[in-house]
Amino acid sequence: MRISRIKIKNFANFSDLDVDTGENIVIVGENKVGKSNFVRALQLVLDPGLSERDRQLGLEHFWDGLGEDKLGQTIEVVVELTDFTNDPRLMAHLNDCVVDPGPPMVARLTYRFQPKANLGRDPESLADYEYVVFGGDDPEMSVGSSLRRMLPLDVQVALRDAEKDLSSWRNSPLRPLIEQLATSLDEDAREEIQELVSEAQADLVGRAEVVATAQRIGERLIAIAGKQHAVPLTLGLAPTRVDALLRSLRLLIDNGARGIADASLGTANLIFLALKSLELDRLVTDGERDHTFFVVEEPEAHLHPHVQRLVYRYFLGDARDDEDAPPLTTILTTHSPHIASVTPVRSIVLLRHNVSDETTIAVSTAKTPLTERDVADLQRYIDVSRGEMFFARGVILVEGDAERFLIPAFAEALDIPLDMLGITVCSVSGTNFTPYVKLLGPQGLNIPHVILTDRDPNGVNPPLVRRRLINVLQLVEAGVNYVPLDADAVIARAEPFGYFVNSNTLEPELFIGGLAEAMQEVIEQELPINQTTRDLVQSWVDDTDDLDEERLIKLIERIGKGRFAQALAPHASDETCPDYIRQALEYIRDAVS
Amino acid sequence: MPFRSVSGAYLAQAADLAGNPGQQAAYDSTGHCVVLAGPGSGKTKTLVLKLARIMAEDVRAPRGAACITYSQECARELTRRLERLGLREAPNLFIGTVHGFCLRHLLMPYARLANLPVRFPLAIATQRQSDQAIKRVGDRLFGVGHPNKPMDLGRHRRSILNRASIAWTSEADLAEWAEEYEAELRGMGLIDFDDLIIFGQRLVSEHDWVLPLLQAKFPVLAVDEYQDLGVALHRIVKRVVFDGGVRLFAVGDSDQSIYGFTGADGALLQELAERDDVERVQLQLNYRSASRIVSASELALGETRGYVSNDPDREAVIAFVKCDDGLEGQAAHAVAGIIPAALAAKPGRALGDIAILYRDYRTGDVVAEAAAAAGLDFIRVDTAAPYRKVALTSWIEDCAAWCADGWREGRPQLRGLLDRWLGFHRTRLAEAEARSEAQRLTRLLWSLRADEGLARDFVDALRSGMLDALMAAEPSLADQREQVVRMSAALAVGGPLANLDLTSLGGRDGSPLHLNLLTLHSAKGCEYDVVIMVGLDLGGLPWRNELPAARRESRRLFYVGLTRARDEVHMLYSGYVDTRYGRMHWGRSPFLNELEARMEEAEGE
Repeated sequence: MRISRIKIKNFANFSDLDVDTGENIVIVGENKVGKSNFVRALQLVLDPGLSERDRQLGLEHFWDGLGEDKLGQTIEVVVELTDFTNDPRLMAHLNDCVVDPGPPMVARLTYRFQPKANLGRDPESLADYEYVVFGGDDPEMSVGSSLRRMLPLDVQVALRDAEKDLSSWRNSPLRPLIEQLATSLDEDAREEIQELVSEAQADLVGRAEVVATAQRIGERLIAIAGKQHAVPLTLGLAPTRVDALLRSLRLLIDNGARGIADASLGTANLIFLALKSLELDRLVTDGERDHTFFVVEEPEAHLHPHVQRLVYRYFLGDARDDEDAPPLTTILTTHSPHIASVTPVRSIVLLRHNVSDETTIAVSTAKTPLTERDVADLQRYIDVSRGEMFFARGVILVEGDAERFLIPAFAEALDIPLDMLGITVCSVSGTNFTPYVKLLGPQGLNIPHVILTDRDPNGVNPPLVRRRLINVLQLVEAGVNYVPLDADAVIARAEPFGYFVNSNTLEPELFIGGLAEAMQEVIEQELPINQTTRDLVQSWVDDTDDLDEERLIKLIERIGKGRFAQALAPHASDETCPDYIRQALEYIRDAVS
Repeated sequence: MPFRSVSGAYLAQAADLAGNPGQQAAYDSTGHCVVLAGPGSGKTKTLVLKLARIMAEDVRAPRGAACITYSQECARELTRRLERLGLREAPNLFIGTVHGFCLRHLLMPYARLANLPVRFPLAIATQRQSDQAIKRVGDRLFGVGHPNKPMDLGRHRRSILNRASIAWTSEADLAEWAEEYEAELRGMGLIDFDDLIIFGQRLVSEHDWVLPLLQAKFPVLAVDEYQDLGVALHRIVKRVVFDGGVRLFAVGDSDQSIYGFTGADGALLQELAERDDVERVQLQLNYRSASRIVSASELALGETRGYVSNDPDREAVIAFVKCDDGLEGQAAHAVAGIIPAALAAKPGRALGDIAILYRDYRTGDVVAEAAAAAGLDFIRVDTAAPYRKVALTSWIEDCAAWCADGWREGRPQLRGLLDRWLGFHRTRLAEAEARSEAQRLTRLLWSLRADEGLARDFVDALRSGMLDALMAAEPSLADQREQVVRMSAALAVGGPLANLDLTSLGGRDGSPLHLNLLTLHSAKGCEYDVVIMVGLDLGGLPWRNELPAARRESRRLFYVGLTRARDEVHMLYSGYVDTRYGRMHWGRSPFLNELEARMEEAEGE
């Protein structure tokens, strides 16, 4: 079973959020965007640990954008579930909640905080409010705690005091494991342990030193109170039962040298998660649960980035793919790009603050029409770039490393501060922009983006950019026949969408556009070239009409386009910025502001 | 291993089954099982124990079992017996009528999804609304005084499910009447009782997705009194069992199929029992009747069943009694002759152990008058009864039982009464609301406890306390409300039950101090020491000139009457009947002639 859709209305940061979700959910967003409130919203529907009072919300829980008009409004959280038809127990739980027989069959659970039904007037305070949790379309089909107990949302909060939880027996996730251990010991084993312990105890209290100490205390007692009043004293241990012994088992680290209290916060957290994960397995095996929505808020806290990624990989799938894995939906929140980078693209739920509407919206790729190859492409890129695209307000898609180094330089020269604006330059390492446009487009994460690409003339045939742009345009505009359009017509169509093309290839364009001398300098610095070549380059500098583009590119490729661009970057200036780059930068600047 | 949430009380009782191979086989069955159970064969006990075992060993909440039975009274009896085993109705245990099942577990969750042409919240037409609409539409279509009968309309709707079939259209008047009547109801935003089953049947037949959902919730389906349940339920059963993978446990007796006029058909049970994938169990031992009564019943049926009495040495009386003065004379003889003798024949026997059975309420009137004239207290169950038994009236009666005395020993259990109350709400209540409702009801019932008192005061207090508000808020209870109103009217000063006390209202199957007057139909499932059947003349039972199928059903009705008796059967006749054309001397019932002849033949050997 998985959550397929979440809607939140008038709650906390959210005025009207509606997002499709995939197998697992990784909620990604900047600080204060509402990640925790998103989890709170899910708890209102699914958490068995919330009391009635917790579900009776306060004015502060209404969406802030409502201002003074909160009374009278309704808060609503909707969770839709699917992929449960292979488990009759889940089907039995959700029987009355089905809203679409499918396939795929969809069930819906709704939390609603609303003015009381039979009020007969406008609500005057929250005393006139009530909450309902119901299944399906019928608000009278109340969903009770038994369903929440069997399909619970289990939240591990951010920066939890794992050490404290571990040290209190009642809350410790170690407790059920020890209890299980206690019941699995048979009578013989118990007797044997009991005997050993009793022997050791007897041995200890029988030692001369122990007896002598008791005697010293006894003598002093007599000295103070006299023989009449002093009671006889010995030193000994209270009889110890096996169960009490087992209860006092503690987790130790460093070969038993130290307790958890001495572990780093990160280690304690990791141990806590491991125990919790074991507990989940047990609850399902014991039939106490049929599915768990396991939420871990910001598990990266105190962990090294490498460990962060490992932890996430574990909870998001790889390690848990086998048949016996307990039925689990993992829900994680994070503001760490490290974690976003290992997240399956389909699981991302991106929370983004929408300034103009004072609300946080959510986007996901659960329903983006990505092919398997697209997903693989994106996953690779996102992993390498550590997921920074998810945190961007705008993205500049470029072909390769040359642009990746040069675009920021030109932006700075044009006084467009990319970092400050939250704009990321993303190299697609080639010319296949399609998966990225799908990911960033309105059916995906809906992040403003531009494309910078080369014209790539192709002899007598139309330049390669024509086909390339048509592929992308087909994703964003419907019903256009491109057959009669030549390359320039296609390029003209593409510009309003933010797709900009140069007249040739980047490097020759820069050379001709005023960076000839700077490029000459870089080539001479970076390459051991002979005099003939030097003269040739000099002749291009003298008259750019003589430029042999192929030769120039060959030279630059010997250096490496990226390295070359890096070296050239400091020379970028307002005057030397090619038009298509300027257009793209201005376009994306306007789009994000 | 039993799950911890279910009581193990059934295990102790199940040990008793060991002496009865049929019951044991049914109890041990693991696949589909049809139990063909003769009269008095302990079928209800077997069913209840099997259900308890299934709930304890085979299913685990939220999955469970649905137990469908013929009438509200049967459901009440099953609930009562299961309660004693520690099992109550719960979200995963349904016990009720086929109508209740279709409403709660098919229409409410799925009708919307399947776009059935019904309005939400579902509102069920009261008997009056339905009768009036039938008349209105009939008069409109065929003119006032038309010959078509509402009963035939009902049978047509219930028994022919495929509206595109020739069978449906061949009775053109009925088909048109039915369609127009249904359109009229829909226009009023209502559905009627037959609609519940017709729509329920459509849901499981036409929508494949309903099957796995139903199977998920109820992997086991138990059906009691299968022979009385009709073709629509049979379709539902076959579809969910053989296409949907639900496990079936059905119990019934084709010989006791007496509801043919409603579309029921005993052959349907036989059809199930003969399937290769169904285990067929026959219960042969009769725990109720003396040996002679067991044999006489078989002779009356004219079929060999091989039933054996569990108590072969018990004395029995089988009497053919001719009375002068027709029905009045029969009633007088029953009251003045048979009943005093029967009471004297066995120490401890009370009026409650005696029943007078008859075919219809008109005869009931005659008998009731005689009983009243003789100063006998009686309870009467027939269509002229003051009110019909529905879930709400049964609940009121059980509440009365609890308040009168039951609270001392928890029979019925308060928890069960509370759960049933909550169940009357159209939808599931939120927990806080359910809790406060339960608290209010508990307080109310606690305050109404009384060792003596009139039933009237109790029902009034219950109604004004909580019941009226509920009935006003829940449109789906409209038809049951009608019966509650009739109950109140009967209890009112001057009403037929004006003097009924609290204990008697709560008494199950009548009280020990009241003579039982019942139609043969209502007597099904009951048993009495002494059974007096009146009106056994040709023209009464059977009617004159019955077609063969109707004659067979009349014979089964006679058989049902005979098999109610533990010790004594008295068959009263006069040799003539009074009709609107005057007195007709057609002789006594041919069933009596046959029976007497066969008995002489058998006992002469």
